[in-house]
Order: sequence, then structure tokens, then C-alpha cells
Amino acid sequence: MAAASSSDSDSGRAESSEASSKWLDAHYDPMANIHTFSSCLALADLHGDGEYKLVVGDLGPGGQQPRLKVLKGPTMLTESPLPALPASAATFLMEQHEPRTPALALASGPCVYVYKNLRPYFKFSLPQLPPNPLEQDLWNQAKEDQIDPLTLKEMLEGIREKAEVPLSVQSLRFLQLELSEMEAFVNQHKSRAIKRQTVITTMTTLKKNLADEDAVSCLVLGTENKELLVLDPEAFTILAKMSLPSVPVFLEVSGQFDVEFRLTAACRNGNIYILRRDSKHPKYCIELSAQPVGLVRVHKILVVGSNQDSLHGFTHKGKKLWTVQMPAAILTMNLLEQRSRGLQAVMAALANGEVHIYRDKTLLNVIHTPDAVTSLCFGRYGREDNTLIMTTRGGGLIIKILKRTAVFVEGTGEVGPPLAQATKLSVPRKTRLYVDQTLREREAGIAMHRTFQTDLYLLRLRASRAYVQALESSLSPMSTTTREPLKLHAVVQGLGPTFKLTLHLQNTSTARPVLGLQVCFLYNEALYALPRAFFKVPLLVPGLSYPLETFVESLSRKGISDIIKVLVLREGQSAPLLSAHINMPVSEGLAAA
Amino acid sequence: MAEEKLPSKTQVPASAESQKARQKKAPEFPILEKQNWLIHLHYIRKDYEACKAVIKEQLQETQGLCEYAIYVQALIFRLEGNIQESLELFQTCAILSPQCADNLKQVARSLFLLGKHKAATEVYNEAAKLNQKDWEICHNLGVCYIYLKQFNKAQDHLHSALQLNRHDLTYIMLGKIHLLEGDLHKAIEIYKKAVEFSPENTELLTTLGLLYLQLGVYQKAFEHLGNALTYDPTNYKAILAAGSMMQTHGDFDVALTKYRVVACAVPESPPLWNNIGMCFFGKKKYVAAISCLKRANYLAPFDWKILYNLGLVHLTMQQYASAFHFLSAAINFQPKLGELYMLLAALTNLEDIENAKRAYAEAVRLDKCNPLVNLNYAVLLYNLGEKRGALTQYQEMEKKVNFLKDHSSLEFDSEMVEMAQKLGAALQVGEALVWTKPVKDPKSKHRTTSAGKPATLGSNQALGQAMSSAAAFRKLPSGAAGAQLQKPPSLPLEPEPTVEASPAEASGKMREK
Repeated sequence: MAAASSSDSDSGRAESSEASSKWLDAHYDPMANIHTFSSCLALADLHGDGEYKLVVGDLGPGGQQPRLKVLKGPTMLTESPLPALPASAATFLMEQHEPRTPALALASGPCVYVYKNLRPYFKFSLPQLPPNPLEQDLWNQAKEDQIDPLTLKEMLEGIREKAEVPLSVQSLRFLQLELSEMEAFVNQHKSRAIKRQTVITTMTTLKKNLADEDAVSCLVLGTENKELLVLDPEAFTILAKMSLPSVPVFLEVSGQFDVEFRLTAACRNGNIYILRRDSKHPKYCIELSAQPVGLVRVHKILVVGSNQDSLHGFTHKGKKLWTVQMPAAILTMNLLEQRSRGLQAVMAALANGEVHIYRDKTLLNVIHTPDAVTSLCFGRYGREDNTLIMTTRGGGLIIKILKRTAVFVEGTGEVGPPLAQATKLSVPRKTRLYVDQTLREREAGIAMHRTFQTDLYLLRLRASRAYVQALESSLSPMSTTTREPLKLHAVVQGLGPTFKLTLHLQNTSTARPVLGLQVCFLYNEALYALPRAFFKVPLLVPGLSYPLETFVESLSRKGISDIIKVLVLREGQSAPLLSAHINMPVSEGLAAA
Repeated sequence: MAEEKLPSKTQVPASAESQKARQKKAPEFPILEKQNWLIHLHYIRKDYEACKAVIKEQLQETQGLCEYAIYVQALIFRLEGNIQESLELFQTCAILSPQCADNLKQVARSLFLLGKHKAATEVYNEAAKLNQKDWEICHNLGVCYIYLKQFNKAQDHLHSALQLNRHDLTYIMLGKIHLLEGDLHKAIEIYKKAVEFSPENTELLTTLGLLYLQLGVYQKAFEHLGNALTYDPTNYKAILAAGSMMQTHGDFDVALTKYRVVACAVPESPPLWNNIGMCFFGKKKYVAAISCLKRANYLAPFDWKILYNLGLVHLTMQQYASAFHFLSAAINFQPKLGELYMLLAALTNLEDIENAKRAYAEAVRLDKCNPLVNLNYAVLLYNLGEKRGALTQYQEMEKKVNFLKDHSSLEFDSEMVEMAQKLGAALQVGEALVWTKPVKDPKSKHRTTSAGKPATLGSNQALGQAMSSAAAFRKLPSGAAGAQLQKPPSLPLEPEPTVEASPAEASGKMREK
């Protein structure tokens, strides 16, 4: 109910600004239960009937139930469970034949699942990585029982320290085991060949040899072992392999595989690498010194969002062009392409529930959403060319259609002087009384000054006298004499008529214990009764706080409270070392009775 | 309710099954890096709760072998302020893959954040062996050496970082070293290069502007601050600095409009309210000025500059007792500034001539270049009839004026020049009896006016009074003398507020860094 009512109020607000908005609210379902990333959204005419569908690789709530969902308009067309979490979804044309229906590729774990007409068609698995030959040797020896588990462990550890090729999971597991478990583990696993498998982290498509919109495309995969693979669209063989210095997170491509292409990979080390055809290694490198959260290419400019709330523009050679600061953290980014007007812009969804649309560094439009948008894509959906699809953090789905009359004009966003400049300064007002006092001061300034100075001197004099007196009669709860540096702190507990009085006595010297102290209470005997008004203190070890407890019984029935004085004395001296005045609380137990 | 039950139901059989499978035959090992991409995506969009959930699951499945999961967990710990925990986790990562420079870098970073700079440099050096060409290692080594106060080494490392890859941060650190060494010109050189490299970085532009401001190159300072404001019209530091420059030139209204932006963004900034107060002071709106300054004083009670300005405004308002109060507070915080003692000589107006003279003497002793101090002292001495002392002070003032003429482009305040000329004439003629016997006519006249019209309190009464007394000088020498006696303290007011405003806000900035 709560969600529904909030959405109502939102739509009400949207209506008021509808006239000025460039967007039509087509659909909003806060309970759509879609949890995904922008990379797992794809729009395609899957059935070749001119009606574009939305493909969602859904991670499920909490990443527990991965599903492939296909939506048509606002309704769910099909939904099928996936074997593992989808990392990326893409649609691409596999071959030239008619009907030209695109295939759907879902990258998940080490595999790419290819669907045609929404039916499983092909499963491509990443090839196994070559294992470390030394490691292989060792396990072979173990298989023939030539080495005992302990030496195996030592040798494997040696490999881990130095080798370029990392160990397999099997060996790593083995290294973690206790001595007693090793034997069993080796027996159980020695017959199996050691394997090293990697997973796909990101995927995109690259046109094979034609720049047309409906040309055959290759899949480009980024893997956890820092490689980029280009797959053949029909045979699913690896056409090209490139290596990166770090694990790719986002990919952006341009050009055609057979002619000339440019691959841009934003990586986990915060760098962005640009590769070209014929280069096995990155040609340019952009160091962001922050983590990229999105990578979009607009014409020839690379737009990168960083996790320091900023949007950067770079040339395709990696030269920095501009930076725009965002009002909140960027959650995801995608490209907005309005073909009819030849507009390309970047959409950035922010954590404060706004979607900002930028062309270069100018803000074109801001969309307010009821929840923070976590994934978005823009394109043809159903039969509408310019549709914006967004999913929110709570699993909601928002579909908006760009009005056909809408034109993005530069300067419609926030430009010019900031809004704050128009607000008035809140200068504190002065009262009539203040004004009167000012006038009085002007007239009698001299007298005021003199009185003030006299009083100030008197105050200082009194303060110092009181201080001296306190020092002389040890009235303070702190004693700083070199022989007995002590600290006293008292707590009264209870509601009465019986209270518990706890004195915390601490010896603050660094090394010397204090011996032979006594505590004495001074109080009005008509009001209070203490079991012992005088007792000895044990030896005080430096630094420790000693709680000394005693009970106090209130005798008065009139709700009177008084002060109890605590004196700490040294044996044989009449002047106290320190003293404390305890303001006793009124006995509430009695008052209630 | 139904939703809550569902996952638990499905989970239990699944885990039981997998356990059975494990017992039967050798299990297929899960791929360690299976969900690294997911962890990373959650991490960069700052969804740390989801991230931690995935990490936990991943670590359980791999029995703590997934290096990246530990790595991100450590990063999150560090963001949450648990640096010690993060350090331990990063060390685990470094054990899992000892060849990886990244892990060592993070270990060093955590050590650095813990303040163990020496240990951090050692780990960074270790990492540098694994990865020769990493600007980050060089940069961070440089920063560590700054904290270890080994500036030469720090510079070497930062320069080599710049050679590997240029970053704004490295420039800023290099500039900082030069500032720490007190070499403004070198710092400016560095910042100039930095601005060339990234012309839109507002922080660099602002800092460069401020450095120029410190050197007194106002044109360039304003240029850079202006640039910073074009790129980011809400830049707090740049607005304050530019505003203070506008104040210097008397554009109080423009400065005030700019300050509105800051007042919205940082409403509790003491330098801001100080500057706003001095703007109102410049516009002769004294009550507003006092309100703003008092707010500034409330926000930063130990800032002597605000107290100084408060004293100044109260002097103008002829509230000498309050002025004395604020000025003596300021002196308690900043006992080494000549001008403060000069203002403290408000005692003249409190008929405490002895102490006023002492304050002047102290002011003259401390001050090295402000001719006003000597002039005001000379006027006081002259009024007391101590012509010889007045003459000495007058000569002292002439020296300072000549020195300033040679070394600075700032023009002298016209009112001060006028006063000096009058005094000079009086000293050389020397016989004007009227100087020694101040008649209190104008004062009382003024009193009646103010009593009659208290509403005009915030207007430019003081100036009006000053003007009228100056005009009356020729006709009524006795009246002028009276005005003079009470004017010296108000004399420094005109040049003071703006000069004062800029250091006040500059210091505010330094503190922020």
C-alpha cells in the first residue's frame, strides 16, 4: 500500500510538470522485481515482427534467483531460470539469412549461452587455461605416489611464491589443509587432471565487416584472466585474443572487425586501456586514479564516470578533455541516441534519484525518479523509437517515452549563476533593546568601562583567593602533591532512604604506591546515618581505581537533602589531602511513602 | 511472509544435496573468481551491503581463497574507518598472491593511513620492485616522505611520478612541499604547470589564485580565481578569495551577491561571516556588520581577526567600551600585532590617557611598516602637548611613508594624507593653541543629533561627522581640533577592513587544507 500511495503522489507531481517535460510516463511498476545492471539489458526485435522486446538478465532479489526475462510492452512475455548469474546480455545478428532475427547472448560464469527465437541454441565455454607445468608434474608424481604430501606442499608453496602462472584451485585448497587431512585429499584428487578455468566479466558486440545497423556482429568477451576475446559469429571460434594489464569491467567498441576497430576497456585497477586492430596490447592508457563506474562512447569522445562523482571526457587517444562534477554518486551510465535528430548523449543515473543527460559537458535534461536508478537503456521498444527503460534499486521498472516533439536544447539544464545567489542573506536582526543599549554605551561609555574594569579586577582577585584557599585546605578532589598524587570521584546510587555511596580513589603517580590513608565522612547526624564514618584505605597501586563503598541512610522524613563531605587523610596529619562535597539526592523512597 | 519462507525452503535442500555430493565423490572445485565481477560492480556503485553479502557467500564457498573478495572486503573496511582490519586483510591478500604489486600497494596505503609512514615507505619500495613504472607508487612514496619531513626525497619521487604519468594530485603535493619550505615562487611555478596540464581543475586554479594573492599580484590572482568560478560557480574557497578582492576594490555589493552562494553551501563558516560583516561595514551598514561579525565570533570565538574587526566596527560606532573589550580579547590571542595596540588606544576615548600612551608605545615597538600607527601616536602626543614626542613620531611616519612609496603600489588613504598634512603644518607652525585645548562642541552636537534620531544608527553617521568636521576645519579651528582628538582611532578604519578581510579568509582556507 505504501508503495502504491507514494507512486500516486509521484505521478501527481509528474503531471504538474508534464507540460514542460520532454518525457511521457509510459509505465511505472515499483514491484516489477527486476534487479540487474545496465550491461544485462538489451532491446531487440527477437521475433522479427517489428515489435522490439526487452531482454533482462535478472539477478533476482539478493542475487539468488537468476532469470532470463523477456518483456513486451509492460508485460512479461517469458521468464526462464538461468544456471548462474548473468554478467552481461547482448543481441546480435549471427548470419545473413532471412529472416534476420537477432540472436541473444548471455554471458554467465565461464560460458556464453546463445538463444535463437528465445530457445537455447548454443553454449560456448571459455577454453581451459594452461596449467603450470611444474604443478602438473608434481601432481603426476603424487599420482604415482612418488612424493609424500608434505614435500608436495613445500614444492607447491615454492611455485606459488615465484611462478608467473598461478596455481589451480586444487593446489590452493591443498595448501590450506592440516597435516592430517593431506593424505586423504591427495588420494581423493590425485587422479584428476588439474584445471584452471576463468570466467567472463563483460561482453559486447562488434560489427564483423559492415557498418550497417543490421550487419553481422562478433561477440567480444572480457575475462577474469585479463584477456579480451573476439568470437566468430557463426562458428564461435576465437578470432582474436588480446591481453590487458588488469581485469576488464566495461567494454566499448567502434569500427568493424575485418576493417579497423578500436576496443576500449575500463579495468579494475582504475585505468582505461585503448586497443586497436593488430595490437595485442593496449596502445593508449588513461589513468583515472579512481574506479570507473561507466564507459560510454559518444561520437569520438569517451565519456567515463568515476566513483568520485565526476564525469570525464577523453579523446580516443586518451587525452583528457573535460570534467563535470555530479551532485551525487553515479550508479550507472548508458548512451542515449535519438536517431531522428542525430543526437547522441550520455545518461548517468545518480544515487540521489536523478538521471542526468549530458551532451559533452553540458547538461541537457534531468529526470527525477522515485527511487535510485540502477540500470538503464535507451532505444526502440515495442514500436516506439525513443524509449528509456530504467530499473530501480528496489526492483521497480520505469518506462518513459521521449516526446516526438522534444528537442534537447543546450542550456535548458542548470547554467548561469547558481540558484543560491538569488536567496537573501540571513543577517541576524538586532532588537530595539540592542539599539538602546548602544546609545547608552555612547553616552556613558567611560563609566561603563571603568565599572567593568573594576569588577573584572575584583572577580580575578576573588577567583585567585578562592583558589589559594582551596589549595591550602585541600578542598579539591585532586591532590597533586608529589608524595600523594590522588584523584577522588564519588557516585551516589539508589532512590533512598538507603543510598549507596561509592568513592573511586585513584593513585595517579606513575610508580609509587600509597599506603596509610584514611577516609572520613563529615555529615549532619540528624539527617544521615552511616555505618562507619571513618575507615582505612588499603594500599593504592598506581593507576588503578579503587571503589570504596558505603551505605548512607537518610533519617529525615521531610525530603531534605544535605551535603556529605568526604575527607581523605594521611595517618598522623590533621590537614586533609583532598576532599569532596557530595550533594545527596532527596530520598524519593520516603517521599513516595 | 510467504516471500520470506520461500528462499529458506529452497536453500536447505540445495545445501544438503551439495554436502551429500561432496561426500560421495571428489567434488568439482568452484571457480575462485566466479563472482568477482559482481563484487566489483556492487563495489563501484557503492552498494556496500550487497557487496558484503556477495563477498561473504564467495568466501564461504571458496573457504577464504578468493583473493579479490578479501581485497574488496578490505577496501570496504578501510572506507568504513576500520583501517587496522583492512591492513590485516590486505596482508592476507599479499600472502595469497605474493607477486602482485597491487596488494602491497594497498598494505602500504593502510599503513600510511595508520600514520606508520616509515613502514609504508618500506612496503612501497617493495612494491616498486615488482612494478617499476607505476606513478601511484612513486606518488605515494613522495607523500610518505613529506610526512617524514624528507622533502628532497619526496620531491624526487614526485617528479619521477610526474614523468611516468601526470596527475593533478602529484602537482598539488609538489606545490605543498614548496609551501612547507616557504618557497612561494617555486610553488607558483608548479601550480602554473599543473594548471597548464588540467586547465579546468578548480582546486588548482583556486590555489594558484590564492598564492598570487599572497604575493600581492592581484591581477593574476583575480584572473585565476575568476577562471575557477567559471568552471564551478559554487566553489567556496574561490568565492571567498574573489569576494575579498572585490572588497579591496570597494565592490561590496558584488561581493555580497557572491557570498550568498557560499552562505547557502557553508552557512557556518566563520571567515564567510567575517567577510560579509566587513562588506556591510564598507557599505556603512554598521548594525548589520556587527550582527554578522558577532555570528562569526560565535562560530569561531578564538579567531583574533574577527575580534579585531568587531573592535574596529565598535570604534566606528563610538562604542568605545565594547571596542576595548573586543580588542583586548584579540590581543590575548595575537599579542604581536602593532595595529591591534593602536586600536586599543581607544582608551583615549575612555579617558585613560596613561594606558593609551602605553598601548601606542607598544604598537610603535611592534609595527614596522604601517605609518598610521605613528601618525595616530603623534596626534595623541600633540594633543597632550608633548610636541617633541609628536615630532619624533611624525618623522618616523615619514620614513615609513617613503619606504612604502618605493616598495608598494598601494595608494594611501586620502583622509590619512590630509590628517598628516594638517599635523605637519601644526607641528612646524607649532603655535596653534587650539590644538592643545580640545573643545567638546562637536561631540555634544553629535550627541544631540543621535539622541534625536536613533533610527539612523545604521547609516553613515560617522562619515558624515568626519566630513563635517573636516569642512569646519578652516572656519572653526577649535571644532576641528575636537574632531581630531576623537578621530585618530576612526582614521585607520577606511583602509583597514579590506586589508583585514583578505588575510582572515586566507587563513580560513589554509586551515581547511
